[in-house]
Amino acid sequence: MDRISSPPPEPAPSTDGLAQTFAASLVALLLGLAAVFYATDHGHAFTTESLRRSEISRQPAPIPKFQVVDASGARADLREWVSASKRTWIVDFVYTRCQTVCSSLGSVYQQLQEQVRTRGLTKDVGLLTISFDPARDGPTALAAYARRMQMDLGIWTIVSLESAGDRRRLLEAFGIMVIPAPLGEFEHNAALHIVDRSGRLVRIMDYDAPAAALDFARSLK
Amino acid sequence: MTTPVHARRAIAWPLAILAAGAALSIPPLRSLIEQSMAWHMLIQMPLLVLGGWLSMRCLAALRPVGTLERWNRYGLTGFIAAQAILAFWMLPLSIDRAVVLPWFDLLKIASLFACGAMLRHSFERSPALIQVFFVGYAVSMMLSLGAYFATTDLRLCNAYSLESQMVSGQGLAILAMLLGVLWLVGTIRAAQASWRRFC
Repeated sequence: MDRISSPPPEPAPSTDGLAQTFAASLVALLLGLAAVFYATDHGHAFTTESLRRSEISRQPAPIPKFQVVDASGARADLREWVSASKRTWIVDFVYTRCQTVCSSLGSVYQQLQEQVRTRGLTKDVGLLTISFDPARDGPTALAAYARRMQMDLGIWTIVSLESAGDRRRLLEAFGIMVIPAPLGEFEHNAALHIVDRSGRLVRIMDYDAPAAALDFARSLK
Repeated sequence: MTTPVHARRAIAWPLAILAAGAALSIPPLRSLIEQSMAWHMLIQMPLLVLGGWLSMRCLAALRPVGTLERWNRYGLTGFIAAQAILAFWMLPLSIDRAVVLPWFDLLKIASLFACGAMLRHSFERSPALIQVFFVGYAVSMMLSLGAYFATTDLRLCNAYSLESQMVSGQGLAILAMLLGVLWLVGTIRAAQASWRRFC
């Protein structure tokens, strides 16, 4: 390898061009700051996760049209189904074989289910779990998951995509990135997605603060 | 004058390093940087910077690059631009975007190549006193980010597992220390050499 440094040129460099250098340095500095400022949503977000959260809270996005299928095998268009329900939904994404982050999401949802029931919010707020593994999660797998989680289907629903071809579109719409992990597992970002009555994704919140998500969902009329 | 063999060799090395760096963005090798943050941050990115650094020797002979001299007195402009590029590619969201968006990945290759080339241009015309600012800043940035990546429980990149992130964090911190030591040794040697010339 070459030496990193060499002695300053001799004789001492002329100061000719120093003004140009200062001007160019200033431009480089400003461009650099602008690039970082722009990429990080004005310095608010340094990770993809925080970026998608701040983008969604600034500009809610209607969820695209998807045909989904539930544990009983009934089919529906997700957005129409949300609007018809006249409820705000707290949505999360799992695959039913998951042993890691989905299990914590599962217990968060059990707590949420309990709170919706005790606070009498059944008419205002619903819980929706969407599987992003349509190839393996058919109605039978969904029903097994519902039993395992002791889901009260009046409060908490689980659906899967009817067509496996919609998977990528679904993940992109909600900003979920799924990466394969050892032993056939997946690793993915997990959060609580608040979808309002008109079928718009309005907020993405931390799954370890379910009470805040429930309060927010309740405040949407 | 360099003989043609030397000239060929002078071009072959930078080209080979660059090709290796760029090849990691193209299937089938692309799966390496898609699955491992360490391959992305600790192998591909340094290869691209090194490719730029090595290419600068050939580029410097070109006339347009020669006129850049007056825009980079004491290496100031190059250091500032290189620092901005390095900082940009250490943002977790930039790393994610490079994995997901092909045009962003192309931007990464071009900018890190330019970063390496500018760094050499700057190091060759700056006194140690100015270098120490750049090296100090870049090394401390890589060290602290590396330590953060290695220790936080938060998954910072949606494209990579937490485990992959921890490994790259450790590697980044080690790389930062190595580069710092390399610069220090180079500077001390250069100082000794110029001292000997005077005595």
